Amino acid sequence: MAKTWIKSLIKAFYIAKKDAKVYYFKAPNFTYGLLMPFALFIAFSLSGQINPLLIIPGLISLVILFGTTSIEAVAVVLEKQTGTIERLLIAPISFFTIVLGKALAGLFFGLILSIIILIPSAIISGISIANPLLVLIAIIISSLTFSTLGVLVSAYAKWVPEAQMLSNFLRFPMAFICGVFLPIENMPIQLVIIARFLPLTYSVEALRISVGNSISIFTYLIDIVALILFSFIFLIIGSKILQKRLE
Amino acid sequence: MNIIIKTKSLTKQYGHILAVDHIDLEVFEGEIFGLLGPNGAGKTTTIRMLTGQIKPTFGEAWIAGYDIIHESIKAKESIGVVPEVSNVYDEMSAWENLIFAAELYDVPRSERSKRAIELLKFFGLYERKEDKVANFSKGMKRRLTIATALIHKPKVIFLDEPTTGLDVQSSRMIRILLKQLNKTGVTIFLTTHYIEEADQLCHRIAIINKGKIIALGSPEELKTKAEEEHIIEISFSISKDVEEYEDIENQLKNLNYVNSISRIGDKFRLYVENTSEAIPIIIDFCRKNNLKIISINTLKPSLEDAFVKITGLSPEIMKIEKETKKRVSLG
Ligand SMILES: Nc1ncnc2c1ncn2[C@@H]1O[C@H](COP(=O)(O)OP(=O)(O)O)[C@@H](O)[C@H]1O
Ligand SMILES: [Mg+2]
Repeated sequence: MAKTWIKSLIKAFYIAKKDAKVYYFKAPNFTYGLLMPFALFIAFSLSGQINPLLIIPGLISLVILFGTTSIEAVAVVLEKQTGTIERLLIAPISFFTIVLGKALAGLFFGLILSIIILIPSAIISGISIANPLLVLIAIIISSLTFSTLGVLVSAYAKWVPEAQMLSNFLRFPMAFICGVFLPIENMPIQLVIIARFLPLTYSVEALRISVGNSISIFTYLIDIVALILFSFIFLIIGSKILQKRLE
Repeated sequence: MNIIIKTKSLTKQYGHILAVDHIDLEVFEGEIFGLLGPNGAGKTTTIRMLTGQIKPTFGEAWIAGYDIIHESIKAKESIGVVPEVSNVYDEMSAWENLIFAAELYDVPRSERSKRAIELLKFFGLYERKEDKVANFSKGMKRRLTIATALIHKPKVIFLDEPTTGLDVQSSRMIRILLKQLNKTGVTIFLTTHYIEEADQLCHRIAIINKGKIIALGSPEELKTKAEEEHIIEISFSISKDVEEYEDIENQLKNLNYVNSISRIGDKFRLYVENTSEAIPIIIDFCRKNNLKIISINTLKPSLEDAFVKITGLSPEIMKIEKETKKRVSLG
């Protein structure tokens, strides 16, 4: 049993490696993943006060969200469109392994993207990061969660722009109610409740805690567990959707 | 002989369409088995079910003893699959494609390179191993797709229309390679709509039409079945006028003892029940219509004749469909 799991995890890594080679360098969406959160951010921060300890974690969460969902739109939809997905379907692997492989490639992409953002912005704003290890864990787990979300949406979509549009339905509302710009405590209770059902909330919170050493470690742990749960749910639903769409 | 593929009432329904209709097949270890039929007959659907890409609506199947539904991973480990359209990654090199296949199929790390080199050499791609597949011709892509399907030394390989869309030379090369591969002990299950290909390549053929298996046997057996019917081939000294040909064809068809008719170039082929009764009637018809006979022959039936007799389809229909299909994929 454990052996089967390790085997499928290894194969998921091979799929991820292949995805990186085939899709990750030809994506114009590379820029989309970076530009969009930046634009949102600049527009927003022009209107209010800027506290780097609040702003930088939010920015990183947004970059991961936009970056991974954009790259998954390319990696999942093109694999279906060109028919190379057949190659994965005929192999002795499960649908879960396929979507996990896709998500793992996204995870590495999110990780690299956030480090590219985090280091210069920390240097420029002069903050010192309270707990680098916890930041790294929060970044990795957030990247996994948003990649699995991207896989789920793209498993449904037939075209890359369709996947981007469907993602936007989730990304933009999340960007505004998950505490990226305003702490959720300052929002009406109805919105707070909704925010608690959305993964971005937990990602932002975990990053704020670990970057700024603000609230309790206990909250951080809850955030990480919540993100892992989201990932699992997205992976399971994503593999079911992919299976249905390929019938 | 060992049975390596077995299906029991295997069925796939799409809405109102019975794409595959309760088929029972047994394929023996070591043979080349062909599923022959026109476009839309259900060949691809059958392969997709057997290779675990879609679930049957009804029925069962086993490959190398593994149930394709309940032991699908095990079944998949014992097979190689070459789909209708080559599906190697254009962005990767031939080498990378083979290694990726080896990784997915649990080929031990120490053997991956060795197998990849062997296969590249066997399929004549060794010199091009570092090239991106995007620069390959259709024939080369097809050969690489077959190579990736063999990386884990499967007992059975499935090929869906392995030569469709390829030029004559590439097709010939693939047929030769498949025969060589079969000599090494690999069971081959292929589909085709080329009657000649099935005849040349397969030890046994199942003819499929509208989802049903309507005949099964070796090419020789199928030809013998057709021998109960006789063929008279005849040509006339007439103008090349299409209407005149059609007119004569219609009249010949209505003669006594003539079951059916087809035209190949300027020759008419009459499928008759009884040659000795039919010939005088035909000669009589020619005399009455002032048709000068250039040649008249009786023929031994080919597999194509057997196909016509068994399916009731004209071999021309297969060719016409193939052409339109080509045009669609080009457009
Ligand atoms: N995914 C599908 N959805 C609906 N109908 C399908 C699907 N796949 C195949 N069919 C139908 O099933 C029949 C058999 O198709 P197929 O197996 O592709 O035939 P072949 O490979 O012999 O040309 C056809 O009538 C085709 O239109
Ligand atoms: Mg087909």
